[in-house]
Amino acid sequence: MKIVGIVGSNAEFSYNRLLLNFIAKNLKNLVDVEVLDIDEVPMFNQSDDQTNSEPIQYLNKKIVEADGVIIATPEYNHSIPSALQSVLEWLSFKIHPLDGKPVMIVGASYDVQGSSRSQLHLRQILDAPGVNAVVMPGNEFLLGEVHQAFDEDENLKDASTVQFLESCIKKFIRFINVVTIIDSPEGMKDVSSTEDLYATGKIDTTIEGVDMEAEDWVEQAAEAVGAVEGDTYVKLDRGILTVNQLNYFLKSMPAELTYADSNNQFLYYNRMYEAEDMLASRTPAQVGNPLAKCHPERTYSGVAWVIQQLRKGKEDVVRAHVPTHGPDKFVVHSYQAIRDEEGNYLGINEYVQDIKPIIDWYLKQTGQQLTGGDVDAVSGATEKVDTVSGATAQD
Amino acid sequence: MMNLIGIVGTNSDQSTNRQLLEFMQKHFAEKANIELYEIKNLPAFNKPRDTTAPPEVQDLSDKIKEADGVIISTPEYNHSVPAILKSTLEWLSYTTQPLIDKPVMITGASYGRLGSSRAQSHLRQILDAPELKARIMPSSEFLVGLSLQAFDEDGKLADPNKVQELEEIFNEFIQFVDITKQLVKTNPNKNKSKSFSWEKN
Repeated sequence: MKIVGIVGSNAEFSYNRLLLNFIAKNLKNLVDVEVLDIDEVPMFNQSDDQTNSEPIQYLNKKIVEADGVIIATPEYNHSIPSALQSVLEWLSFKIHPLDGKPVMIVGASYDVQGSSRSQLHLRQILDAPGVNAVVMPGNEFLLGEVHQAFDEDENLKDASTVQFLESCIKKFIRFINVVTIIDSPEGMKDVSSTEDLYATGKIDTTIEGVDMEAEDWVEQAAEAVGAVEGDTYVKLDRGILTVNQLNYFLKSMPAELTYADSNNQFLYYNRMYEAEDMLASRTPAQVGNPLAKCHPERTYSGVAWVIQQLRKGKEDVVRAHVPTHGPDKFVVHSYQAIRDEEGNYLGINEYVQDIKPIIDWYLKQTGQQLTGGDVDAVSGATEKVDTVSGATAQD
Repeated sequence: MMNLIGIVGTNSDQSTNRQLLEFMQKHFAEKANIELYEIKNLPAFNKPRDTTAPPEVQDLSDKIKEADGVIISTPEYNHSVPAILKSTLEWLSYTTQPLIDKPVMITGASYGRLGSSRAQSHLRQILDAPELKARIMPSSEFLVGLSLQAFDEDGKLADPNKVQELEEIFNEFIQFVDITKQLVKTNPNKNKSKSFSWEKN
C-alpha cells in the first residue's frame, strides 16, 4: 500500500516533518510512506492560476497515485498554517486529487494542545465540496509538547505513544480498504472471486510449460510455440502483412493497446515508450503475467467487475477516466471486449488514450465552445459547486 | 472622527468583499475614515528564523496600530478563510502583534447563499488566539450571500434591509471601539502575548 505524508508546514524546521519521517521509517513493515514537502507551492491566488506549475502538479500526481494521504499539521493561531491552506486551495480549484481519497490527520505542536484545534479546522476544510476528501473519523493523534517528544535519533521517546500511533496507522490501512469497497461498482460486495485473476485455468491458446511470471516469458513462450517474427508474412482478415509491418502498424495506433485473454493472462502491449512515459505504465517483463500480478490487490474487486461486464456481455466497453495526468490531459482507459464471429468472449482490448487533443480539435473545427465549466469563471470556483453554500472558492 | 482600517481578505482581482468595504467606506464617510488595505502583495508566511516584520508587514502593522479599529471582510474558501488572509494574520502574530486589544469587526461576502458564515467562525477562532488576541465584536455577524447580485451599478448594497442591518452593526462597532478603549485602559495588557505557543522553541 502506497501512502503520501504531507508536511503541513513550510518552515525550515518542522516537528511535523519529523513525525512523518518517523512513521515512514518505523512503520515501513506496515505501509510505504513517502513524505512530501509543500514549501515550493506558491500562495494561492485565484486571479493567477498556477495549477500547472511544477510543485502543484508534482503533489497532484503523487496524491492521485497514492492509496491514501496522511496530513501532519502544526497549529498556528488556533488553525492550520496558511501554507497548508494554500495547498488545499490549489488542490480544490482546477484539480481535485483529494476527491474521494482516504485521509488521516496527525499533528504535533509545542504546547499541550498538540494541534487539537487546527485538526478540527482541517477536518472541516477537507470536508468542503471542492476538496471532498474522505477523512478517517476518530483516532485523533495529537502530539503535544513536541520539543520533548523525540530523542536525538529523531525517534519518539514514549513507547505508549508509538504504540498508539501504530494502532492509528493500522486502522487507517483498514479504513483505506473500506473506502475502496465503498467506491467499487458493486458497493460493499467484494466481487474479486468472480474472476480467476491468477489465470490458473487454461484456454486453447494458453502456452503451457512456461512460467507466466518469468521476465522473459515472451522469449520462452515464442520458442515453445515456434512463433514467427520479422519478415514472415501472416494472413489477416483482411490482408497480408509481415510481422514487422504488423508491429509498426500497431505501434502507430493513437492509443496504448493491451491484450489480455479470456484466461486473464496479459499477452501483449504495443510497446512504443518506456513505462514512465506511458499514460498507463507497462514494462516488458510484465507480459505473460496473470492479471492479478499487474494490479494491486485492493483493485481486484474492480478489475473482476470490469471483466465480468465484458465476459457476460452486459457491456461491450467499460470506460474510466483516470486522472493520473495534469489538467492538460484527459486520460481515458477503455476496456473493449474482444469477441469472435459467434460472439464468444476472447479477452480484453484495453486502449488508453488522452482524448483532450481530439476534443480541442473538434471544438476548433466546429467553432464551438464548452459551456458549463465557465459558469464560475469569475469566482474561479471549481466545477463542484456546492448548491447550499455556493461555490467552493468564493469571494 | 474615528480612523478604521478595512482589510480586504483576499488577493483576487475581483472581490465582492472589496466591493463591500468600498461601499462601507462611502456610506459611513460621515462617521469614520475607513482606509482600505490590500494584502495581495504581502509575502507568504514561512516562519523564518528572523522574527522581524518584512516591510510590507510592518506597513500594515503600523496602520493597524494607528487605527482605532479594524474591519476584516473575508470570502469563504473550503469552509474557511483564504490562505492569504491567514498568512497575513500569521505574519502579524509572529512579528509585531498589532492586533492585541484592537477592536475588530468581521464582515464577509460570498457568491453562495451562506455568505461566508463558516469562514467567519474560523476567523473569530483565529483572532482569538493568544498571539493575535484581537477584541472581536461579539454577536454581530454580517453576511452578504449571493454577493454577485448584491450590489447595484453604483456599488451600493441593493437591499435596503441589508443596508439597515449593516448600519446597526456599524453603529454598534463605533461604540464597541470606545468601550474597548476604556476596557483596555483600565486593564492594560502585559505587552506581548506571553505564551507564543506555536513558535516557542
